[in-house]
Amino acid sequence: MRISLSWLSEYVTLPAVEELSRRLTAVGLEVEAVERIGAALDGVVAARIVSAEKHPQADKLSVTQVDAGAGPVQVVCGATNWKVGDIVPLATPGASLPGGQRIERARLRGVESHGMLCSARELGLSEDAGGLLILAADTAPGAPLARALGLEDTVIEVNVTPNRPDALSHIGIAREVAAALGVPVKLPVPRLLQKPPAASSLLKVRVEAPDRCFRYAARVVEGLRIGPSPAWLARRLEACGVRSISNVVDATNFVLLEWGHPLHAFDLDKVEGGEIVVRLAKPGEKLVTLDGQERNLSADDLVIADGERASALAGVMGGGHSEISPGTTRVLLESAWFEPTGVRRTARRHGLHTEASHRFERGVDPAGVTVALDRCAGLIAELAGGTVRKGMADAYPRRRRPVDVALAWSRPREVLGMPISRGEARRTLAAFGFEERKATPRGAVFRVPSWRLDVAREEDLVEEIVRLKGYDAIPETLPGIASVTPDVPRESQVAERARQALESAGFSEAVNFSFVAPAELAALSPAAPPVGIALRNPISAELAVMRTSLVPSLLKNAAHNLRQRVEDVRLYELASVYRRHLAPPVGDAPAHEELRLSGVAMGRRHSVGWAAGGDPVDFYDVKAALEGLLESLGIDGVRWARGGEAWLHPRSAATLSRVGPDGASRLLGAAGEVHPRTAAAFELPRGVFAFELSFADLAAAARLVPTHVEVPRFPAVLRDLAVVVAEEVEARAVLELVRSESLAEDVSLFDVYRGAPIPAGRKNLAMAIRYRAPDRTLTDAEADEAHARIVGRLSAALGAELRA
Amino acid sequence: MPDLVRELEALAEGARKSIGAAADERALEDLRVRYLGKKGEISAVLRGMGQLAPEERPKVGEVANRVRDEVESLLGGARERLEAEKLEKELRGTPLDVTLPGRRLLPRGHRHPVTRATDEIVGIFARLGYDVASGPEIELDWYNFEALNIPKDHPARDMQDTFYVDEASLASPSGEGSILLRTHTSPIQIRAMRRAGAPPVRVVAPGRVYRSDYDQTHSPMFHQVEGFCVGSGITFADLKGTLAAFARAFFGPSTRTRFRPSYFPFVEPGAEADVSCSLCGGSGRRDALRCGTCKGTGWLEVLGSGMVHPKVLENVGFDPRQVTGFAFGMGVERMAMLKYGIGDLRLFYENDLRFLEQF
Repeated sequence: MRISLSWLSEYVTLPAVEELSRRLTAVGLEVEAVERIGAALDGVVAARIVSAEKHPQADKLSVTQVDAGAGPVQVVCGATNWKVGDIVPLATPGASLPGGQRIERARLRGVESHGMLCSARELGLSEDAGGLLILAADTAPGAPLARALGLEDTVIEVNVTPNRPDALSHIGIAREVAAALGVPVKLPVPRLLQKPPAASSLLKVRVEAPDRCFRYAARVVEGLRIGPSPAWLARRLEACGVRSISNVVDATNFVLLEWGHPLHAFDLDKVEGGEIVVRLAKPGEKLVTLDGQERNLSADDLVIADGERASALAGVMGGGHSEISPGTTRVLLESAWFEPTGVRRTARRHGLHTEASHRFERGVDPAGVTVALDRCAGLIAELAGGTVRKGMADAYPRRRRPVDVALAWSRPREVLGMPISRGEARRTLAAFGFEERKATPRGAVFRVPSWRLDVAREEDLVEEIVRLKGYDAIPETLPGIASVTPDVPRESQVAERARQALESAGFSEAVNFSFVAPAELAALSPAAPPVGIALRNPISAELAVMRTSLVPSLLKNAAHNLRQRVEDVRLYELASVYRRHLAPPVGDAPAHEELRLSGVAMGRRHSVGWAAGGDPVDFYDVKAALEGLLESLGIDGVRWARGGEAWLHPRSAATLSRVGPDGASRLLGAAGEVHPRTAAAFELPRGVFAFELSFADLAAAARLVPTHVEVPRFPAVLRDLAVVVAEEVEARAVLELVRSESLAEDVSLFDVYRGAPIPAGRKNLAMAIRYRAPDRTLTDAEADEAHARIVGRLSAALGAELRA
Repeated sequence: MPDLVRELEALAEGARKSIGAAADERALEDLRVRYLGKKGEISAVLRGMGQLAPEERPKVGEVANRVRDEVESLLGGARERLEAEKLEKELRGTPLDVTLPGRRLLPRGHRHPVTRATDEIVGIFARLGYDVASGPEIELDWYNFEALNIPKDHPARDMQDTFYVDEASLASPSGEGSILLRTHTSPIQIRAMRRAGAPPVRVVAPGRVYRSDYDQTHSPMFHQVEGFCVGSGITFADLKGTLAAFARAFFGPSTRTRFRPSYFPFVEPGAEADVSCSLCGGSGRRDALRCGTCKGTGWLEVLGSGMVHPKVLENVGFDPRQVTGFAFGMGVERMAMLKYGIGDLRLFYENDLRFLEQF
């Protein structure tokens, strides 16, 4: 809300603007900006033309001596509408004109000029470029032009929160200033000269929807002449950001900004049948609003109609048909009190947000209906010269009862943590317009002022008290709740370990938007695109569906980094994915949300340096990172198997699964090289690797507290084993068979070899096996027997040949 | 036979010279073989002993033993000398280039600043005894608005531009417009209080939130941390003390806080909490210029707060005459921007490694 301080000062004595801003902010009306009107004319002063002669080199120019209060100054001028002795605006060197022109000392055709004499247009004051702006003869030379023209003003921008519609006006702000400073507020008293006939004989008002229109009052002004508003009025409106239109329309806007009550003026001659009906719109009814739009009305839209048709969207916008026009002589002036939520629905339905709807949907002062109406009728008569007819046509179906709220004297202390004396509570509430109705030893009942629709309970009174007192007065304490060890959810602990594990494997954490483009989800699985939960009102098509996987976001991140020439990328993200419930949910969450832990890796295996080469990342690097992750979470028994998601390269993809406590195998996720087609869709090259794991399953499987196992007391016997197997035989099969030997404590695969002398289609696996018995020293013979058993099993089950 | 003795003496003399002159281990080894080996010179001399008279043998034997001992000791000394010289040479050798970069095969990854700030904020409240809670991001209107005293068709809804879910994409649509992306973490207040069932409840709740607003200073998704403390006898003074303690823990021990009246529908009275500017220390000036971070005011708006509205307590089944409480919320990105000096909100979601690696 823009508040003009010159206007505001009519109602309350103001301190300096800094102090005013501080005090308003302190009572909860934050001053967000202070703007000096007329600042654009800084450096422009009034100057008297003392003498003039023709420019020696240019016929159309004059060389003038002007007095701007400090002796004659020479200025070259091209205008001709002046005479010596006139007072005109002088833009002095250093001034910047509203059009952007910067004034400098200059030589014009060889003659020095110390500034520029200006037209109204050059000063941005009007379109008049016909010559210099001639100022009033009594203007003092040297006076700043803005002051000389009465243009100086300061406008403060007040952030009015939605609970305070009463502060959406100059009088509303004046009330707060008065309370904050402890000074009186002077309210304007309408001067209203009324003449018969009675308004009610010229106009009938009927409210057919009393739940939506609590009161509808109207006055009639006749015999007026539409014309422009006087400068003072236009300037005030403009200071508040409202365009001046005509005297009658401006009068309604003036009262809106003064009292905060929206009014509407109809051309009474366009009101058919001399009747106003406030009703809900009829099926199929249309209305052309003031903005020229034809609107299809809903049965929930409240309209102001005459005997024939709707002529305004109640509380939102007038209609074109009954609009005030230059020929209007009779005006119906409406002042109403509409039900707030209905106004809001209508405004939103039609995509309108007007000064009127803004106030009605927040709630206007019910007592202000007639005050504003009288004020505006008087102003119209003054500005447009009409006659105000006697009385009002008034329908008041829902009379508002005053609101009384009880305050226990002890309550402020219970809420604030510091005592407030009865005297202070009473003084504060009185300053804000609350009237004490009844007092008891334990408290009092206060009547809420009609404009304070936000106050309904005891806590609201406490807030009134504290906002005048200021929060600074309240001490700082800590809650007196017994200390308990807070519950750190298991998920948080698992998340922290998982993050650390991936970070130590070189992955940095990414955070991405939860919504993606449908095409990005489709690129994961073109054959069966995942269906994400869609937004009804997305910001853009790029951010339209809730992601079902974190992989697309990470692939986008990889592509972004690549474009920035960051070629070695390892990123992970831990975040939710979203889908519809597939089974009845446990709680009442509307959708299924589950955390995933995903990552992407591309570029070189090691950071390039003098100590390492530039080999590219491959499947086993990602696998190593995930093995490290699983180890840090204490998860063992994870089975890697060929296969995986549609977004993985079929040759280089694995699923991770693990047998749960219930004996069923659970899929933890998948990892591998990103499918070349998916990579291409994200403008990525080949050789990008990714994984996605179910975080909930990781968390469930995690063993956060290790269990000690006895350190072996007897020595081990080491034996190496090299076997040749067919290419299709997976290492896991070999290793599992080795481990099935009870004396084989551990096996590590240290080499995989293909090529001569191994025949094509076969590979050599070399491993080191550690044999140990838990209860005795193993003999070489026992180890040899165990070794032989393993060789036998490998040969029988997998066709392995012992390599010589 | 004095000949043999002389021969041995000459041998010893030769050994003294040659061993003293030996330049390396290999030369020493050759000398050892030459003098002491089975086919060495001393053995050769001793082989001649058989022709000696028996009474001469002990004398020659004695000399031979002496010579052998001397040669062995000369060899040992020479070996020590050579090793010492070798070590001396190594110690004086060309030093390493200690300025070469360390051998980091895989630099550590970095934590996203949003997580970093979230963890710090949550950690501070956890130390103050707050439980950590979370809630759904796709949320019911009731939790996000109604239960928080923001009724339908209320202008307070304009304070938060809301994303609504297309309910055709859900399993059980419950009426258009009632399912949305939560606009704040405050619905977790409702869920956590209902879950707790009875006061006292102290909870801190981080999470993603969504608002339909996208420009230089607004992101359609960002992060908040919500916190609240409800019990008997909880006051605004407790709110002030708690947030002041938090601000000092997060921004530094000299941080000051101030509270200004403000409006959030789910608190009454409500307050905006400002902290003294972390960059200019609250003076409003840096390097004799106006501080750009606090715009010269010395204060930063960082927290919304207030006493939990009685209607909210009623909505979770608590009796507002018996129980009071405070609540607060803050934007994590803003906290991170202030703490780490990040100037542009959009950097958080680009995941440019050159940005992430700074944290």
